[in-house]
Amino acid sequence: MNQALIQLLVSGALMGLVYALVAYGFQLTYATSKSINFGQGELVMLSAFFSLTLTNLGLPYYLMIPGGLLFGVVAGLFVERAGVRLALEQKSEGWILMTIILGLFGVSAAENIWGRDDRPFPTPIPTEPMQFFGISITPLEISVALGVFMIMVIIELFKRKTLLGKAFAAVSADRDAAELMGISATRTIMLSYGLSGLVAALAGILVSPITTVGPTMASALVLKAFSVAVVAGLESGFGVVIVGLFLGSLESLTSFYVGSGWREAPGLVLLILALAVRPTGIFGKAVIRKV
Amino acid sequence: MLKRLILIRGIEGLMVLLLAAIPLLVNNSFVLGLLTLLAIYGILLIGLDITVGYLGLVNLAQAAFLGLGAYAAGLTVTLFGFGMLSALVVSTLTGLVMGALIAFPSLRLDGPQFALATLSFSALSATVLNEWESLTLGAQGLQLHRPLLFGIDLDAKGFYWLCLCFLGIVWIAMRNLLSSQWGRAFEALRDSPIATDAMGIGTYRHKVTAFALGSGLGGLAGGLYAFNFEYLQPHVFVYELMVILLLGVVLGGRKSLWGSFVGAVLIVLLPNLLSNRILFQIFSSTGFLFALGAGGTALYQKKTRLFQAVAPMIAMGLLVVGSFTVQNTEDWRKAIFALMLFSVVVGLPEGLMGFTSRFLSRIFSIEPEPFASPSGLEEVLARKPVDGSPLLQVQELKCYFGGIKAVDGVSLTVASGTIHGLIGPNGSGKSTLVNLVSGLYVPTDGTILFHGKPLVQGSLFAVARQGICRTFQNLQLFSELTALDNVMVSMKGFYGTPLPLVLLGLAKRAEKRAEADSLALLELVGLSGEARTAAKDLPYGAQRFLEIARAVARRPTLIILDEPAAGLAHPDVVTLLGIIRRIHQQGITVIMIEHHMEVVSGLCDIVTVLDGGKVIAQGVPDEIRRNPLVIEAYLGKGSEPPALAAECRLAPMTVPA
Repeated sequence: MNQALIQLLVSGALMGLVYALVAYGFQLTYATSKSINFGQGELVMLSAFFSLTLTNLGLPYYLMIPGGLLFGVVAGLFVERAGVRLALEQKSEGWILMTIILGLFGVSAAENIWGRDDRPFPTPIPTEPMQFFGISITPLEISVALGVFMIMVIIELFKRKTLLGKAFAAVSADRDAAELMGISATRTIMLSYGLSGLVAALAGILVSPITTVGPTMASALVLKAFSVAVVAGLESGFGVVIVGLFLGSLESLTSFYVGSGWREAPGLVLLILALAVRPTGIFGKAVIRKV
Repeated sequence: MLKRLILIRGIEGLMVLLLAAIPLLVNNSFVLGLLTLLAIYGILLIGLDITVGYLGLVNLAQAAFLGLGAYAAGLTVTLFGFGMLSALVVSTLTGLVMGALIAFPSLRLDGPQFALATLSFSALSATVLNEWESLTLGAQGLQLHRPLLFGIDLDAKGFYWLCLCFLGIVWIAMRNLLSSQWGRAFEALRDSPIATDAMGIGTYRHKVTAFALGSGLGGLAGGLYAFNFEYLQPHVFVYELMVILLLGVVLGGRKSLWGSFVGAVLIVLLPNLLSNRILFQIFSSTGFLFALGAGGTALYQKKTRLFQAVAPMIAMGLLVVGSFTVQNTEDWRKAIFALMLFSVVVGLPEGLMGFTSRFLSRIFSIEPEPFASPSGLEEVLARKPVDGSPLLQVQELKCYFGGIKAVDGVSLTVASGTIHGLIGPNGSGKSTLVNLVSGLYVPTDGTILFHGKPLVQGSLFAVARQGICRTFQNLQLFSELTALDNVMVSMKGFYGTPLPLVLLGLAKRAEKRAEADSLALLELVGLSGEARTAAKDLPYGAQRFLEIARAVARRPTLIILDEPAAGLAHPDVVTLLGIIRRIHQQGITVIMIEHHMEVVSGLCDIVTVLDGGKVIAQGVPDEIRRNPLVIEAYLGKGSEPPALAAECRLAPMTVPA
């Protein structure tokens, strides 16, 4: 009994790390422009499909990954150019609708190019479970966890240690002032969208062998990523990991004890509650209103 | 005036007659089905337009309200045997209540967070409809029969007329609402929530009301939807429908009943358009040519950015290419919606109706409705008796932000009928003090008495309603509203009519009063010629004056002016002095943060000087200028008094804090 419970928690938490990674993609763009890509889930899905095509073309796993990531970067840059830049220049919130539209286009394109069915995603990483203290974990799941942590550490180091990364913080703090200091806000925002696309692509490549690839694979994923991002706050990279782990296990419990149809519910309820009680998130800082 | 009435009401009447007559002329059940759906979607989109158009929020929950309303109606009929009208009441109430419930937690949220909250609500309600199988039968679907209306079993034609009646009622009620103070308040809320509270209009009640009403209409549409199809499945009311609804509102034109109607026509016709290849080719080519023409002209006249002109051309071009090459357009449905929506959002943000109505009003040269004649200023601002007694008493007020002591134990008394200056170097705590009094911040410690009684703390709205009104250093106008509307909306507390009466169109008298009074106030600040100009298009000085007029419209006992002269050119400063004197004459007590010494000396009876969050001096302006502590605070140790006086005349302190 206890063993089964722990097993549920651990597998759920591992899945939660993927939500955290997608949520981290929201944070990257929010950091520079206070905007997020509502079509991030579609980016995950499209990158996964693209990577699948690369694999089917005979590319080995270690060459497929950079290819898929590159696709993610390009797609992220496209979203910024086509969906976000104009709205930001007009200081409007039009990017919400625009990124939703681009996402919808992405779904439709995927349906017609790759078909509506879910397809398996081959991986060289073994999937036979290993036993740790009676809990079974597959090497594949471990690879997901490792991948998530690695990319987040690298990007956080980039943001904190390099000059270019610090430009993120500068543009976030005051776009106009940053421009006056010679930082191109547009380019910084482009960079953040490119990185965000990269993170989405990695999430797609990591999660696909577990969930299979299909045009709707991301619709549930992105809702949970939204929950994680909002509950944790859109500023804390550390926060999304914690909340991601928590939500993943909670969901796994709900799915087991209440019914698999209800697995989305806790995330959605948490999101609405978080917005009601603490719109800046658990790890976010409250902002002083200035007039 | 008459021409305007005949044209606008005439077209509406003609349209209703035409819609009602079609089933008599054409005996075709397919057409009848489309018309019924048109009426239902019309109601749904009018509801959605309240949040998307007037509140300016991306609302992703309207499809969910349609679904909840539909299931509410369906279940009350199948489980409890409700009649049609009572079932529709239940479905509308379901929308209203759920809408209010979701609006409450979303109150403090803006753009993306609000969109996320509604998105989650949508997904959650889809989950519930799907999984609560004992009630909704889940994916299997809910079968129902259209109930009787007052004992009459309506046929398809009769039901269509019923839907049309509902659309008509909703249309009239919403026109009454949206052209009233309520509609203005919704738009004010969109432009500046802070000012909406500071003018005592109230963000809280308006956001909840607007969202609940819109959702209620969604629920009503849902009820009609259930009785139209007599079969419900949860997967209908999902994300894709939501995007289509947004397409309808945006393409039709926001903030317009006609826009919602045009959007509904489009949504109803779209599936048929897509299934007919030739029609779709014509449609997409027309769209492409339109994008090419409009974008090209705008680009040639340099009225637009390159992206705004070219992106729609590319999107519509893709649509044309698709219409000639794709085997089955139905498969690409989502992409087609996306391309259309993209082109409209980028290239025609005002929507088809926004575009057309501008065009039409130019052709028919429809003049705007003339104004009521302005009230006398004495009527609007009855002279308040002043007696020099303490009006506002601040005692040991403290406000800390972490380790920063922005206001650190300030005590001061503002006497009734005075103009009280508040000066001090940048960062001395003036703005924080004003923000504490006006309710934007909650003090860490200390008390504020108004009329000798404790003042509500931490609520801009409640403070405004008690008679303290303020302007803002960084302008907080309702920028999309006209100058007149900016002032009028601020009178909502006075000429506010209860919502049901407004919906019935019984608020016209109060409207005219508010308009007449507002015109008088615009005259006071010298802007009566700019009544119809949008606030954002006024010159900077005029915007400052408009903020004062708007604050005075609330008829405050005490008005707080936060750097009214900041950035004003000299002639405007002179006008400003006149305006403030005039307001003061009517018995309104004034607190003024100001850096211009000429304004302070010219107006203030008494001046309080702050430095480092503490009061360092208080007295008449002449004393203050010579006070060594004040000079030290501004210029550092060792400065000579005359130097300060001279410097002040040269206005070294005009830099806004």
